[in-house]
Amino acid sequence: MSQDLEKSFVKQLKENQNIIHKICRLYTSGDDAHNDLFQEITIQLWKAYPKFRGDSKFTTWAYRVALNTAITLYRKSTRSISTMEFDNTKHFIKQEDYNYEEEEQIKLMYKAVYQLNDIEKALIFMYLEDKDYEEISETLGISEVNARVKMNRIKGKLKKILNP
Amino acid sequence: MKELDLLKKDWKKNENSFQQVSENDIYKMIHKNSSSVVRLIMIIGIIEFLFWIGISLFSNNDEYFQKLNMDNILLYMRILTYAHYAIIVTFIYLFYKNYIVISTTDSTKILMKNILKTRRTVNIYVWYNLGMIIFSLILGFMLAYFYNPDFALVKEKIEHDGIKAILFFIGIVIAIVGVFTVVSWLFYKLLYGFLMKKLYKNYEELKKIDL
Repeated sequence: MSQDLEKSFVKQLKENQNIIHKICRLYTSGDDAHNDLFQEITIQLWKAYPKFRGDSKFTTWAYRVALNTAITLYRKSTRSISTMEFDNTKHFIKQEDYNYEEEEQIKLMYKAVYQLNDIEKALIFMYLEDKDYEEISETLGISEVNARVKMNRIKGKLKKILNP
Repeated sequence: MKELDLLKKDWKKNENSFQQVSENDIYKMIHKNSSSVVRLIMIIGIIEFLFWIGISLFSNNDEYFQKLNMDNILLYMRILTYAHYAIIVTFIYLFYKNYIVISTTDSTKILMKNILKTRRTVNIYVWYNLGMIIFSLILGFMLAYFYNPDFALVKEKIEHDGIKAILFFIGIVIAIVGVFTVVSWLFYKLLYGFLMKKLYKNYEELKKIDL
């Protein structure tokens, strides 16, 4: 029984691992930290898995546990603005559709997002993942209206970072 | 915001650019120990419970009171001791109850609230124990003063010097208690400041949004 559980978990996690990778990318800098957080999120997902009944989608459930781990359970501070983070964006530039000005802007955007605090990053993350405000408010435990207000403030903050 | 749309486009484009973790690696990972703040709080909490239980077991005063021929006080002390144990058991129960409520599938805010609640239970438990130590010290000193023949010298001195000597002895008790409290407080400030700085900060940030 428990072996079946383990098997189905590993399979589902492998298929959906990019969710975790994306959170690690936002909350850590450098490969070691990325792998460290990835492991902790995996452990937390596994611990919570028996309670996952499949009445919600695996991904929806995984988003929540993974974000909670990054923001709440993971002890190491995730905010340090270094050149490492800046380099992180390098391998996201693909040769074929290279547009210098656009790429430059994207790079600056990544850098600005890294300067946000953990909670702001969570909102941005869910925005990038096309989550609606209902899910954002449910995941973080804030009201929907306030999630909207906060999102607008974050946009303002990003603008300020980009154009000081 | 134009730049944010650009970022989203790039974010989606690179969704599958991560180095993939194999099933084998995932198997290995789920058998490792978590290094989460919740696990550490639980471990430290258990150590704290054991530490204070150890102290209350070692400070058995029965012999002392028997020696002083104070059987009536002995009864009161026993009642006090059992009440103390009952309170410790209650604390352990509360700690355990709060701990099992912690769930990563709750919203971030509720999760943080539950972690802080668990921590607060242990904090109150420790301050309760410190309070008991202060109380025992004062009580012990008073009993010794009135009943212990070894304290005759002290008594004589107080009678001779009056208020000055009384103040001196009260001063000593306050100093001992003070040092103990300050050291404990510093220890806590350092340990939990270090452990929970991030959690507190994020919790405050989250609370601010809903103000």
